[in-house]
Amino acid sequence: MASGKLPWRTRSALAAGRAASALSRATGRGEGMVIGGQVILRIAPEAIADLARNRVAALVSATNGKTSTTRLLASSLEQAGPVVSQPTGANLSTGIVVALSDADPTARAVLEVDELYLPQIMQQTAPQIILLGNLSRDQLDRMNEVAMIARRWRDMLAQHPDVHVVANADDPMIEFAAAEHAHVSWVAAGQAWASDSAVCAECGTLLRRDDADWSCPGCGRRRPPPNWSLLADPWRAVDPAGREYDLSQLGLPGRFNAANATMALAATAALGADPAVGLLRMQSVDSVSGRYGVFHVGALNIRLLLAKNPAGWTELLDIMPPAPTPVIITINSDYADGRDPSWLWDVPFEKLRGRTVVATGFRRRDLAVRLTQANIDHVVIDNPYAPDAPLPPGMRDLPQVDCAATYTAFQQLRTSGVPA
Amino acid sequence: MSADLTIAAIYADLLGTYGDNGNAATLLHRARLHGLSADVISIQPGDPVPSQADIYLLGGGEDTAQTAACSALRADGNIRTAAERGAAILAICAGYQLFGEYFPDSTGTRSPGLGLLDIRTDRLAQRAVGELAAAPVPAADSTEPPLFSERFTGYENHAGGTVRGPSVQPLGRVLAGVGNGDGTEGSVSGHIIGSYLHGPCLVRNPEIADQLLRWAVDRELPALEEQAVSELRAERFRTVLGH
Ligand SMILES: [Zn+2]
Repeated sequence: MASGKLPWRTRSALAAGRAASALSRATGRGEGMVIGGQVILRIAPEAIADLARNRVAALVSATNGKTSTTRLLASSLEQAGPVVSQPTGANLSTGIVVALSDADPTARAVLEVDELYLPQIMQQTAPQIILLGNLSRDQLDRMNEVAMIARRWRDMLAQHPDVHVVANADDPMIEFAAAEHAHVSWVAAGQAWASDSAVCAECGTLLRRDDADWSCPGCGRRRPPPNWSLLADPWRAVDPAGREYDLSQLGLPGRFNAANATMALAATAALGADPAVGLLRMQSVDSVSGRYGVFHVGALNIRLLLAKNPAGWTELLDIMPPAPTPVIITINSDYADGRDPSWLWDVPFEKLRGRTVVATGFRRRDLAVRLTQANIDHVVIDNPYAPDAPLPPGMRDLPQVDCAATYTAFQQLRTSGVPA
Repeated sequence: MSADLTIAAIYADLLGTYGDNGNAATLLHRARLHGLSADVISIQPGDPVPSQADIYLLGGGEDTAQTAACSALRADGNIRTAAERGAAILAICAGYQLFGEYFPDSTGTRSPGLGLLDIRTDRLAQRAVGELAAAPVPAADSTEPPLFSERFTGYENHAGGTVRGPSVQPLGRVLAGVGNGDGTEGSVSGHIIGSYLHGPCLVRNPEIADQLLRWAVDRELPALEEQAVSELRAERFRTVLGH
């Protein structure tokens, strides 16, 4: 526990928080992290600032990929000593205060931060660098407009002129947030989903696009020349000196994880560590808070995939095994999933053609209509893990089945399943 | 054009926030079920809006995108031509509001709309977010059969409340949610339907899709039930209304 030179109030808050988490765990009410964090912050609202003092290396925020990028960067930075991070992607104030209080007080911190909380956490933690990955629509029933978050980030950076920013040059919303800042490593990390940055955040004009390049005919904003780039076939990152880093041996799949790794490499360099050494450490990361992990659920071994919004789903469908291998798709609409699953119509489920999809979750009927119109074979099953579930022929014999799920379904499978 | 009908999806990059693709997909799907061939043409800002399409679709968008779309449509002029010749038009959420006399821009100031629907939109006291259900209403002329007989279901997410002028009928009477803000939901005037129902609208309300198709081909089309859609509708009404 980080208590050596902490103010008295923060020290007693940490003790109370620890007691509250222990009680919560003992009474079976979850992992106790949220309760513990709430108790600490109620007693000592300044606890994050006290615990963070001079040791936060990086904050990571984005709509998609912040948990994976945080893990990759934390692994890379361990080359220079111990690193603390949230173990479960708890990216609000409560998760952050618990992560900082549980760790070696000398460990540097790499923290994932919710998009809306970033300005506040930035103020409290004074990090050396921040990573800004991407912004797109996410849970529209409760999130603010994408452009509004980008404006808040821009205002935040104006108040922290000295922080170093690692930013995705290919996302015009990210460029808008960081454009006026003096210290930026621009990373051409790609943007698979451009529908939420069609219009210039500065002047409202429709952006002109040509492959990854973009510019605004209205006010002249344009994609900044990148310092780092992600290149394809095979995936590799290129640094400002032209040195290449082979990303084909990453343990995490897909284009988006190659993009996350490129951002993490640029951040590693910005923090004065060695990207080549960092890459070797990143390669050993093969599962992030349950994402891409394999779990035994009922009679199936499932590889668990999390997607929360159209941009995330679009990239996730590409890493599933090719047809005709059947897959499970689980759609819920609890608060944490977003109450409104209309985004199902923005996801290119047509990519799954040629196989049978098991549609499950509370909103399985919405998914079934989407799949019907996309001409994809599917079965609608309340509980595909029941012994008598009418699964597609051969599914039970597969060594592993991909299961892509929204947040609450993902958490439920992750905690009820047995790691395989 | 060789297909029986042409569907123009207008400015999906600006007005397509709430899965509005689903409306074009559902029209295409229902047209096929009715034995009609259809083409969907996707119109982006900068492209000319076709004046001769049979059905026009406009969806929801953020405030700045809504203002940009409205300016582009006014400059282009063809959506007015289409509306005046009686083309079938479905306008959802931001698209619905911009068909009226005015709507609130990102600062809450009234911004002039296209004036193709006699409606006016101002900010609601509180943003309307959640499931929306509505019942069909009798036809304005009581000797006519009502346009719709089935309940409506969707999800709403808008900051505007809409007041209808005397020439505009509501689409429905609100059973759950906010809709226009005065107990009614949506607007119908001639062959223009405006609504706050997304979800998307036509996916969850195939009767509206079929009405747009009837106007487009100018003949009766039989009712066609799809089991997956009926199950989805039943589940939504059960969850939202309890029956
Ligand atoms: Zn501009």
